[in-house]
Amino acid sequence: MKVYDGSQTEQESVGQPERKKVGIAEYAVTTDEAVLTTSGLGSCIGVALYDPDSNTAGLVHVMLPRHDDGEGARAKFADTGVEVLLEEMERAGARRRSMEAKIAGGSDMLDFSENGSSIGSRNAAIVRETLAANDVPILGEDVGGDYGRSLRLEAATGDLIVKSASQGTATL
Amino acid sequence: MPDVLIADDSEFMRNLLREILEEDHNIVGEVENGVEAVEVYKEQTPDLVMMDIVMPIRDGIEATDEIKTSNPDANVIMCTSVGQEEKMKEAVKAGADGYITKPFQKPSVMEAIEDVVPS
Amino acid sequence: MKVDIQSLGTFNQLAHEGAEQATQSLAQMTGIDAVVDVTKITLLNRDDVGEELAGQDFVGVQFDFEGALDGDTVLVFESDSVGPITEALVPGGADGEMAQSSVEEIGNIMMSGFIDGWADYLGTTIEHSPPEYIEATGADVLPPAPTVADQPQVFVFKSQIEWVGESLNFYIYMLPEYDTLAELMTDHAEPGGDAIPIDKLSVFNEMTTSGTEQAAENVEMMTGIPTEAEVTQISFAPIEDVPKQVGDDTYVGTVVEFTGVPSGYLLVLFDEVSAQNVAEALMPTEPDGEGLTEQHKAAIEELGNIMTSGFVDGWANVLQTSVDHTPPQLVHDIGQAIVDPLAAQVGQHQEHSFIIESEMRTDEIEFSSEIHALPDEKELRQALAELEVDRADQTDADVEQIF
Repeated sequence: MKVYDGSQTEQESVGQPERKKVGIAEYAVTTDEAVLTTSGLGSCIGVALYDPDSNTAGLVHVMLPRHDDGEGARAKFADTGVEVLLEEMERAGARRRSMEAKIAGGSDMLDFSENGSSIGSRNAAIVRETLAANDVPILGEDVGGDYGRSLRLEAATGDLIVKSASQGTATL
Repeated sequence: MPDVLIADDSEFMRNLLREILEEDHNIVGEVENGVEAVEVYKEQTPDLVMMDIVMPIRDGIEATDEIKTSNPDANVIMCTSVGQEEKMKEAVKAGADGYITKPFQKPSVMEAIEDVVPS
Repeated sequence: MKVDIQSLGTFNQLAHEGAEQATQSLAQMTGIDAVVDVTKITLLNRDDVGEELAGQDFVGVQFDFEGALDGDTVLVFESDSVGPITEALVPGGADGEMAQSSVEEIGNIMMSGFIDGWADYLGTTIEHSPPEYIEATGADVLPPAPTVADQPQVFVFKSQIEWVGESLNFYIYMLPEYDTLAELMTDHAEPGGDAIPIDKLSVFNEMTTSGTEQAAENVEMMTGIPTEAEVTQISFAPIEDVPKQVGDDTYVGTVVEFTGVPSGYLLVLFDEVSAQNVAEALMPTEPDGEGLTEQHKAAIEELGNIMTSGFVDGWANVLQTSVDHTPPQLVHDIGQAIVDPLAAQVGQHQEHSFIIESEMRTDEIEFSSEIHALPDEKELRQALAELEVDRADQTDADVEQIF
């Protein structure tokens, strides 16, 4: 599993902020005002955490609701994905009590599930539950609907920019 | 002119069939699923039903089965993209009189109809 | 020969870690920030290897390796990335021999990282030759796939590496000799594991090829546009890598769930231009408005339906079973976002997935289409177990005989 800790790549700090791409079942944390991006969220959810006090930001792209139900990296699941991001934020210097969350994704664009609610809405429910259990407030969200989203987390401000093919761009 | 009922969930396909059939047939209804197909069949008892297989709510094989059970003299031609042998056998079991696979050309549709409902 | 799912997963992981290692070496030497997008194992016809590289110019390095594993491997860069890479290595830039030498050097270092992981895992050594500089267009940049008697299909390990912030990609291909790979996989299979017979996987691939041909024929019949079935392949990748296969472009298409043995999901996708072109070829009248109208969507929906049937009917007929599918759902969105709910659905029961992929295109107008199927792994295994190899060409049903 990849762990970006902000010291891995030392690039020029002037001009464009550094961009880091977060794939499915991956996360990234930055303390140097990088831009974290993840793309093509359908029923997946992007959880952005930001600590304004320490200027630390992190983004995780989760795919399935619960780690107990499957195997793989912690960042693949909503419950353990939120937890691993919280831990890595703390390791990078953020404090849990000043962290804020923004979440996007979890659409129900395709629903063939005859047994209960869709994966998108279950993902959203588990993300909310895990954030609440850790006392991290959700300051903004763009969840559900029937369309895909791509995200940009600007670590300098904590802004989460949500782009979709059909709904244009919104800033959370 | 024989009365025909068209059952297909695709608007595109209904249009195509209508264009092929309307010259020599009286189209009594166009429906989008198997439940409506049975209902309209019972109201109108058309001479022929052009029946898709994969449709929402109720598929065309079940609908054919019910139509043929209520009226063994009904004429139903399956008109489907499914080209699986097992499906064809199911269609036969349900009482289907003919089977056209999509995509089709006008002559093959006319030929199938001629076999089932000779003019 | 049989391989079990576990060893396919392990080998895929080795290729992925090797590609990660190579990418890190690149970052250390050049400061280029790149990520490994997808790593997958693909079984395909040897003539189709590298089809996805068509039309692009590449430079790179090639090695042959031998030991526990024999074969060839290449690292290729899209030509446009050579300038920036050389610039990063040789301040002030370089051209000619110097540029070539820097590509060679970076390739050498990256590929050592790639191969070493395999050797370490296998607890043995794999020797590789000095790098050979290569420069070519499309699939010609790849070494010829190894030949095996009576076996037209080959396994290829493929990693795609994306240069973050630039629209440039690097690729690593590994083409192992079939026999040594087969031997290794057999050695690493767990006794009583979930084994898949490779010869049947090849047969399944051939069945799918005729399904794709049927789907292409259906398109041609409906639109009048001569359409060619291109590549058909079956790949194996971690479930989280599945959506990335399709990428960030916007697609129009249809999705169905199919049930039977196997069950799963099937997507028919068109890029937006192709969708519009093919829909208009189907429509009896001019569209009412600009862009993708409701008429276009209705046409795409039906086309998706018919292509889907063409594709799965062959499986059903060979396996002497029926494979049902739901009515098509129209999708129009970012490719990856279309695939991820399906991958997630399949991913609830399995960590890796087989992906059956086909492509078709035409020369006449801008038109190409992709079909992706995600079967349930356990059921695919069951279907393969029941597959009678000598029925493989019985993909067509005979309507006349039944009615």
